[in-house]
Amino acid sequence: MAITVPTALKKNDTIGIMCPSGHLDLQNAKDCIDTLQTWGFKVKVDPTVGGGFHYFSGTDQQRCQALQGMLDDKNIKAILCGRGGYGMSRIIDRLDFKVFRKHPKWIIGYSDITLLHLHLNKRIKVASLHAPMATAFQPNQDTSYIKYLKNALHDRKSDYKIPADPRNRTGSATGELIGGNLAMLAHSIGSVSEPNLKNKLLFIEDVGEYLYALDRMLQQLRRSGWFNQLGGLIVGDFSTTKDTSRPFGQNIQQIIEQVVAPFSFPVAYNFPVGHQPENVTLKCGVLHQLKVTTRSAHLVECR
Amino acid sequence: MDRIKFIKMTAGLLPIPFLSGSLLAGSSKAQSPEPDAKITVCPPYLKKGDQIGITSPSGYIFLNELLPAIKQLNSWGLQVKIGRTIGQRDGTFGGTDALRVQDFQEMLDDSAIKAILCARGGYGAIRIIDKIDFSRLRANPKWVIGFSDATVFHCHIATHCHVATLHSKMCNSFPDDWEKAPALQKDTILSIRDALMHTGKMEYKSIYNIYNRTGRVEGDLIGGNLRTIENLSGTPSGIQAAGKILFLEETHEYLYNMDRMLWNLKRSGQLSHLKGLIIGAMVRQQQRNPADELNRSIYDLVSEKTKTENFPITFDFPVGHIINNFALKCGIRHTLEVSRQGTRLIEI
Repeated sequence: MAITVPTALKKNDTIGIMCPSGHLDLQNAKDCIDTLQTWGFKVKVDPTVGGGFHYFSGTDQQRCQALQGMLDDKNIKAILCGRGGYGMSRIIDRLDFKVFRKHPKWIIGYSDITLLHLHLNKRIKVASLHAPMATAFQPNQDTSYIKYLKNALHDRKSDYKIPADPRNRTGSATGELIGGNLAMLAHSIGSVSEPNLKNKLLFIEDVGEYLYALDRMLQQLRRSGWFNQLGGLIVGDFSTTKDTSRPFGQNIQQIIEQVVAPFSFPVAYNFPVGHQPENVTLKCGVLHQLKVTTRSAHLVECR
Repeated sequence: MDRIKFIKMTAGLLPIPFLSGSLLAGSSKAQSPEPDAKITVCPPYLKKGDQIGITSPSGYIFLNELLPAIKQLNSWGLQVKIGRTIGQRDGTFGGTDALRVQDFQEMLDDSAIKAILCARGGYGAIRIIDKIDFSRLRANPKWVIGFSDATVFHCHIATHCHVATLHSKMCNSFPDDWEKAPALQKDTILSIRDALMHTGKMEYKSIYNIYNRTGRVEGDLIGGNLRTIENLSGTPSGIQAAGKILFLEETHEYLYNMDRMLWNLKRSGQLSHLKGLIIGAMVRQQQRNPADELNRSIYDLVSEKTKTENFPITFDFPVGHIINNFALKCGIRHTLEVSRQGTRLIEI
């Protein structure tokens, strides 16, 4: 079954903002709300934004109802997750995608939201946007990358070309994009949300994880067969990795190089995706071409 | 929808453990491709004069750190063979992947070695497990011993070889001075001897916890470190817990991470159709900012994921990264009895 790609947003369409996982202060969503309005959209803010139930943005039921309500509300044309953190795993199996499947819309977010992207890809067959969330819109940092979200919402073709990293493995491949936070990718394995990686372009990123833990996750991906028929690998940001008091002995590039060594698909390092301001918008489930040469890595949407 | 289908699939597997006793023994179905139809083989128990090999398939360890364990094993009448990984170091590992494979493989293949004791945990077993040839283990069974990262071996051997293994403390947990060691620490170390040398049936007790769910069941033990079990999910070493008594322990993880791992178990069907669930020590890492702490207890997190099931559950069982960590025989049939008077786990 082919993936359905949600339609482009029009001027005055409404974007819903809600927090399905961790708590987010309302003031940290202000710049996001303002920016979406300057882009010509209306914004509906759910009480889970600024809401709190201890660590979470609300109780499981509140978070679930908030997301369910926005999935089912035909006046909401896209849902932007305000923040990741932790919590999607607790509510994902309670969500009902019946209405959403008939009236798909863009779901926007990353990190903990990765599980939702995977689930939408595998079970619901609807494309979604791995993209910046609320705090990325705050002007105390480089906000130049949020324009790619605007482009995607306006149905402009994705086209990212970055200078080559010396460790890249050259080659080209065409396939649907899928990926996100490595811990969440590993967490999906064995569950009903685990994606099928055949001929796909997989992107990975993670924040603040130990090197040994990253190795363990990559070993799990390998042992579950994710790399066997993979089209290509896009390595995003891993700049905040930690090491144990007994040093692991390899850096993240070496870890990845070793895991992918038995395979021949192209690999692009240092791609601007992850928990940094340099976080482009990637369309999960949408066909792309990845071209890795000695000069550049080029990811372009096929259309 | 697919979830229901999945549950139906696992439900289809359910009768097999019931049949796996004497009914199928010696019949052609024992060679059935359905792994759980195989009967677990219990390796020969060790006798005085037998040899036990010590290897380091995960983190590195030096010979002087093994001395208390060697002394104790000798006092049980066992000979010790020191593997070539001991004293070796490659980053965090006890030697290169190749060396750790070689050491483990040599011990598996050496018929003079009756048991393989992992020197310590750490991280690394997952990197070598697929390179070790276990094909002769079932015909020539021997005990593989350890916990934490060694959970990889327990699960892999259970799924592939159907040979019992011993989940227990490792060399780095033996007291430096046996005479001065606390009684509980001595008891847990001696439980390794009791299990390996079969001085009697194993029996364990823990006190009643109001979150326990009472009941009495029989089943094979399977389990170990929660993080490691999640890491095996979806891989060729993934556990098949249906029809078994599953035990879990965890250390040094944030509570939200434990919750996420438990969700993986639930969402991959591993918490359905259990015979019983044993939760050992779940030692948590505190959040630096208390506001980031999950507002649940481990009891809540387990209970909410098992409320639609009706198997017995017992908490605070003496297994895990604590002193109170007794040797458990994976793959061996036990009775689990959870009542108001407390919990008893008894080898059958």
